[in-house]
Amino acid sequence: MRIPILKLYDYLLISIQVELDDQTVLQFQEDVLNKIHQEGSRGVVIDLTSVEMVDSYIAKVLGDVVDMSKLMGAKVVLTGIQPSVAITLIDMGITLEDVATALDLEQGLEKLQRELEG
Amino acid sequence: MHPSIKESILEKKDEIVEQWLEEIEQFRYEDYLQNISDSVYRSTNREFVDKIFETVDLCSDDVYERISQYSERLIQLGWPLNYITRGLQSFRQITVETLSNTGDNYCYDIEFYQEIESWIDNLINALVSDYSGSWENTVFSQKMALKELSAPLIPVFDEICVMPLIGTIDSERAKLIMENLLEGVIENRAQVVLIDITGVPVVDTMVAHHIIQAAEAVRLVGAECILVGIRPEIAQTVVNLGIDLGKFSTKSTLKKGMATALKMTDREIVDLASK
Repeated sequence: MRIPILKLYDYLLISIQVELDDQTVLQFQEDVLNKIHQEGSRGVVIDLTSVEMVDSYIAKVLGDVVDMSKLMGAKVVLTGIQPSVAITLIDMGITLEDVATALDLEQGLEKLQRELEG
Repeated sequence: MHPSIKESILEKKDEIVEQWLEEIEQFRYEDYLQNISDSVYRSTNREFVDKIFETVDLCSDDVYERISQYSERLIQLGWPLNYITRGLQSFRQITVETLSNTGDNYCYDIEFYQEIESWIDNLINALVSDYSGSWENTVFSQKMALKELSAPLIPVFDEICVMPLIGTIDSERAKLIMENLLEGVIENRAQVVLIDITGVPVVDTMVAHHIIQAAEAVRLVGAECILVGIRPEIAQTVVNLGIDLGKFSTKSTLKKGMATALKMTDREIVDLASK
């Protein structure tokens, strides 16, 4: 199962609409990094609105993707994290401290734009 | 009840009532009944003893029915349960004493005591269960009221919400706060949430932990948290306990927090007169 990655000008848009498992999320990590390399993107928005469950491994990989993208010069914003997901993550002690977050795709894009241009 | 016992109880009714009224007059001063006027106290006593005699030839189901109306009124008027139980206890004592003084043979039967015991016990059960039922109702409705009041999220400007917290925070309430906070943030599309702890009397490690968790969860769903209303004594306890609140901004008053929140969303309040 591969997650589609859309290119929009300088950004990559990714909406995760399947329940993530270990295999999918690793494949996803690889795809995102390749795509950043290929397109020379400056920003990435990962939208988690339809994700209802995130375990510690998936959270770790998502955090890794953010760090790796940063190394490649692309800023990542996670958007649309559901309350239930946020509560589980906090309960597990995962705070994703250095990761930028936004309420939804729209605000995520605004945030990226502000940070990259301003 | 055995008809002969019932008969002799009814025969001695006046005597028992006289003694009982005297007895109950005595513990009026020990209970919380001082501020009830004499006439009300007497009439209630009289009604009570009449009710007791009414139930003498009823089976237990009928007793419950008969007594519940009366107990409902007592509960509404706020008569203490103590009055009921002590009244019934002394009633039992007086009845047994009076009847055993008559010298009839059956008075020494164990059956005689059992009959009277079960009669009075039934009454006590009915009254106590009515009382405790009404208390449970009260506790339940107050709990619900408390829950409703416990964690409101108020949208004040576009993208800015305030959650005022008042009273002690326990784990159950903290969970509720977290849920309301996150759902409210999404519903109101808030960018900044101000958590006002002016009304929280004590901030210990547990409370601080819950607040920090809530703030981090808010950040995950894509908004910012500002903790406002930090009183001097709270600042002292937080630092003395070694709690690190450095991860999110804190302000002393809601006013200052609001100014910060407006700045974070690229707005400010302008005085029109100065223009």
